[in-house]
Amino acid sequence: MNSQAEFVAALLDPERDCPADLKTWNGSDPAARFAVYRNNVLSSLIDALAASFPVVQQLVGETFFRAMAAVYVRHSPPRTRILADYGADFPAFIQGFAPAASLPYLADVARLELLRIRAYHAADAAPLDADALATALAAPERLASLLLRLQPALGLLDSAFAVVSLWAAHQGALTLAEVDLDQAQCALVLRNGLEVEVLGIRSGDAVLIQALLQGRPLGAATQLALACDPAFDLGACLAHLLRAGAITHCAYDTQRPLP
Amino acid sequence: MNTTASHTVVSAAALALALGAALAISSAPLTAQAADSEKCFGVALQGKNDCAAGPGTTCAGTSKIDYQGNAWKLVPKGTCEQTASPTSPTGFGQLEAFEEVKNS
Amino acid sequence: MMIASPIHVTNSAPARLPELPCQAGIGLKSQHYQQILETDPAVGFFEVHAENYLVAGGPFHHYLGLIRERYPLSIHGVGLSIGGQQALDREHLERLATLLERYQPQAFSEHLAWSSHGEVFLNDLLPLAYDAATLTRVCEHVDQVQSRLQRQLLLENPATYVEFASSSMDEATFIGEVVRRTGCGLLLDVNNAYVSSVNHHWDVQAYLRALPLHAVGEIHLAGFAEDRDAAGERLLIDNHGAPVDAAVWQLYAEVLQLIGATPTLLERDNAIPPLQVWLEEAQHAQTLLEGARATRPQALA
Repeated sequence: MNSQAEFVAALLDPERDCPADLKTWNGSDPAARFAVYRNNVLSSLIDALAASFPVVQQLVGETFFRAMAAVYVRHSPPRTRILADYGADFPAFIQGFAPAASLPYLADVARLELLRIRAYHAADAAPLDADALATALAAPERLASLLLRLQPALGLLDSAFAVVSLWAAHQGALTLAEVDLDQAQCALVLRNGLEVEVLGIRSGDAVLIQALLQGRPLGAATQLALACDPAFDLGACLAHLLRAGAITHCAYDTQRPLP
Repeated sequence: MNTTASHTVVSAAALALALGAALAISSAPLTAQAADSEKCFGVALQGKNDCAAGPGTTCAGTSKIDYQGNAWKLVPKGTCEQTASPTSPTGFGQLEAFEEVKNS
Repeated sequence: MMIASPIHVTNSAPARLPELPCQAGIGLKSQHYQQILETDPAVGFFEVHAENYLVAGGPFHHYLGLIRERYPLSIHGVGLSIGGQQALDREHLERLATLLERYQPQAFSEHLAWSSHGEVFLNDLLPLAYDAATLTRVCEHVDQVQSRLQRQLLLENPATYVEFASSSMDEATFIGEVVRRTGCGLLLDVNNAYVSSVNHHWDVQAYLRALPLHAVGEIHLAGFAEDRDAAGERLLIDNHGAPVDAAVWQLYAEVLQLIGATPTLLERDNAIPPLQVWLEEAQHAQTLLEGARATRPQALA
């Protein structure tokens, strides 16, 4: 083990002795000084998670959150130097974290917050020019084979819990007492200009968007959505995606792949 | 939406109708009709802090001390206590104390 | 500025030298983007952490692009791990090159420290043993960075809490050698110099004078927190979370006496103050800069 490997092992495990090569000018125990580094690593990474998952922290309180995040940081220190990418598997960790088992919705709230961070930093993509769809409309017989590409920022979450309402309640949009946790909800996260939006959507909308993301043409995607949700309204769904600038390219199935 | 009865194959006319409506709605200023479609689709929320960016890097240390030990005994004590809990016998977020857990 | 160092043993002189204005600047934080664009504050430059902008798109790039059109920019890396025992992460260096290409900053700086090991990134600036092996490695890494970026790197002196028994030279000597061998510049963090001097019982005046002051391309000023070591002695934590300490202001004034006016950043990373408060602190540095000699005697060829 080289000296930096030893240093790292001691940083991440508080029960290990601090590295042997350390010295202090006054002969005091270097462990007390090494503890500054231990704390910097742990605290800064917990802070990073707290910044990414503010509603999770509000739900469980700061003390519980920081203790839970500390366990995660030690198990899964960043594999990236870009902290915006840290915590991708924090939701899965929460799901398996026994002390949080009384809050079965907590992992999905974390998944929603992760989608928000991703949407915030996702690649820019200019919305599709409305003329392109107007042109497509002029050839209705080909509409079923139309492929729509959606913005890179877009994310979907299908939850067994009322994640959108829970999240909204922490934005002051409704009170927690109004939230029926057991109501399954689908969340759509996208970036409208510079603003990240979270929307509660119907299951049919979610199926359509998922199908489009998978590269299915409009006709097949609509069929899937209707099979899931007979009241699915394609016009309203597309209108919202267009208004948010979420559709970035279109092409016909025969012209695969999309640019 | 109109579909054929047997295989729910979506007709070209139905797709054209929907796309036409979508283009009309999305290009018009927010009208009552558009507002209805928003309502139907869901409510867009932007987050309390609309420039929430997640974590930033630091090249500094901290004097805030986080607990360094491994064993701990904590229960969630946040807004979860105000939520109706599906798992709680009382119907509210009453949280049981957990046994001290050792996470290595 | 000219690099007085005569010998570049392993590398040719970097293509592009830092060109920040000799004024006070502040860090750029996302909570201040809009206010900066709306009020056009009088400040010499902004500095960002490179790693915060290694994201694909969105508001960070949008606002940095707008602010870059109006102000000089310094890009300060925190993740290159120049002191690491492993090879530099080439992918990371490529991403930095792309970022610098996009924003054309007036300066690029990194730390005399390490922060990664294996695949793990520790998000802290960790200390180095100052020995011959470390010196060789750091110089190789600095050469590699300067060759790829085609510009002079400003290397920052660290704040540290421990020393290594295996060190064979003092920190100022080590930094002087890196500057001499690679032709890199020095980002002189006056707060770090003070913090380390207190923490290790160094004579801060002697430390400063032993540094390659002719190579200083930028100065950092920041605040610290105070703790105690196991013997009850002062242990200062470089937390960038408080106003600059009076002792550090005094040292800064002395440094300006020695080297003349130099671009100076007021750093904050924790407890970010309102923009106006931060600007007022920068104004204090600006006043000192305007009282300093405009020409840096050591920089004259």
